[in-house]
Amino acid sequence: MTSIPADRLRDPRSLPPRATTIGGRAAGPRRGPARAPYVFIAPFYVLYVLFMVVPILVAVYLSLCEWVGLGPPHWVGPRNYAHLLTDVSFHRALGNTGVYVLVSVLVIVPVALMMAQGLNARGLRARDLFRVAFFIPMVVSPIVVALIFSLVFDRQFGLANSVLRAVFGLGGFDWLGDPTLAKVCIGLIMLWRWAGYLTIFFLAGLQNVPRSLYEAAELDGAGRFVTFTAVTLPALKPVTGFVAVTSFISAAQIFDEPFLLTHGGPGDATLSVAMFIYRAAFERQQFGYAAAAGVVLFVLVFTISQIFNRLLGIGRAS
Amino acid sequence: MSASTPAHARRRHRTPSRALLYAALTALLLAFVGPLLWALSGSFKPRGDIFAYPPRPLPSPATLANYRHLLDSQPYPSWFLISTAVALVATAVSVFVCALAGYGFAKYRFTGRTFLFSVMFSSLSIPFAVILVPLFVILVKTGLGNPWFALVVPWVAPAFGIFMMQQYIIQSVPDELLEASRIDGCGEFRIFCQVVLPLLRPSLGALAVWTFLQSYNSFLWPLVLISDNDQFTLPLGLQTLFQAENRQYDLVLAGSVLATVPTVLVFLLLRKQLLEGLSAGAVKG
Repeated sequence: MTSIPADRLRDPRSLPPRATTIGGRAAGPRRGPARAPYVFIAPFYVLYVLFMVVPILVAVYLSLCEWVGLGPPHWVGPRNYAHLLTDVSFHRALGNTGVYVLVSVLVIVPVALMMAQGLNARGLRARDLFRVAFFIPMVVSPIVVALIFSLVFDRQFGLANSVLRAVFGLGGFDWLGDPTLAKVCIGLIMLWRWAGYLTIFFLAGLQNVPRSLYEAAELDGAGRFVTFTAVTLPALKPVTGFVAVTSFISAAQIFDEPFLLTHGGPGDATLSVAMFIYRAAFERQQFGYAAAAGVVLFVLVFTISQIFNRLLGIGRAS
Repeated sequence: MSASTPAHARRRHRTPSRALLYAALTALLLAFVGPLLWALSGSFKPRGDIFAYPPRPLPSPATLANYRHLLDSQPYPSWFLISTAVALVATAVSVFVCALAGYGFAKYRFTGRTFLFSVMFSSLSIPFAVILVPLFVILVKTGLGNPWFALVVPWVAPAFGIFMMQQYIIQSVPDELLEASRIDGCGEFRIFCQVVLPLLRPSLGALAVWTFLQSYNSFLWPLVLISDNDQFTLPLGLQTLFQAENRQYDLVLAGSVLATVPTVLVFLLLRKQLLEGLSAGAVKG
């Protein structure tokens, strides 16, 4: 039962384009084509170097300097990094960001998968209505999201407390004022914003699983759970990898929700690394220190996502 | 519930589980859309009613006072125009760059292709927070801090868009068509503009909507870059109302609704293209 070959799924998709592309290229490489592809991709690389590579190099340089934003930066070597090692706020920020990442990869991604599984039920009515409605939060501006949820989570008059009081007679939770609850709220908002978006990817992936595999599983007498683990999950591996890595990267640089809703508080309970960077640079004029925190974030996110891309085989040229 | 039982047994167990599925999906629908409707309803309530207990789902009496007050007291049209114009420029540039590069990767084999592709793809894993400080410093030091230029910059080279275009082009642009145009003596760039671009219309639309939304809704970069009230984008304008001493909920609610309605409408109009376009890249990879 577990032997339904995963490569059977990938083959029909990857073969035709490869064959035709090679054929097309071999048939007519006249004067243009040799140079043409480089011209086509050049604009991207020019912008990429100017607005990504150069800034990263500048970040590395700044991270080795002390600079308040005026006059020339003052070279201090790795001192900023040494400070980061002992800065409790930065440790908090890293820990909180770790929590956000875990929530997004271990909670939101599986929830999205379950939602897609529900939407993929055969003969489901109003599938489009559900799909579109679930996606809408992603279209809404983060400032609006923050406003809406501050209406919901307000300590005195919020909808959440009103409903809890009216239905269960429970008393006022200080949703955004309690360190743990505040983190829970940020997690819920992330779930609300992203789940429907990620569902789209899983749903498309599920619709791509050949029906014959399910029929084969049924003939073998597999129950729902076995079918799910033996057919659905292996077939979804590429999509899941992409979705998990993408949500990891988004969660690792989360800024808007904690900044707008709690300003990182109470204390540093919801502070994220991106907020830490913003605060150091633009509220405290410690540009070198902020750059160092940025470099640390970059190294962590880039390394981890490259490892996962490699392991899961995502993003290779087809 | 063994599946080896004949079909009627399965149907019998399906009906209640179907009802359960619809119930769950409807509950989710309420959870996703409910908060938005709550804000929409709140925007028509008199200021004192927004936090009334017990909460009232519908405004009574309904009033447009919040909207009137917002438009009278804040330069709302200016925020809206700046956000929209910046997003349009960013979208145009980004869609063109993505389509070009996506085509280059999809339809040509060339030395260094694999390497260049993985460089492009790996730029997806560069968090914006790293670039935030140095990009700000560079743009200010080089005198390019002008918002019309600077606000557009972070959106012009999205690897996700290139990846998406590449996947779409592989599936929907036949090589024979390109060959035929080459035999007719068309140059490569003309083939791209006249033969390929028209075929890409659905996915260009999807990418355009996506980029537009990203730029229109962006918050962190404008927050860092813009200090002059006259140049506020929509999210910045709403944020000043939101962070003000007494949280002017009546004004922010009205402003949020005005800011959100156009994006939701555009999304609803182009939902098919957008949802299918977004997922095509990831799924068929």
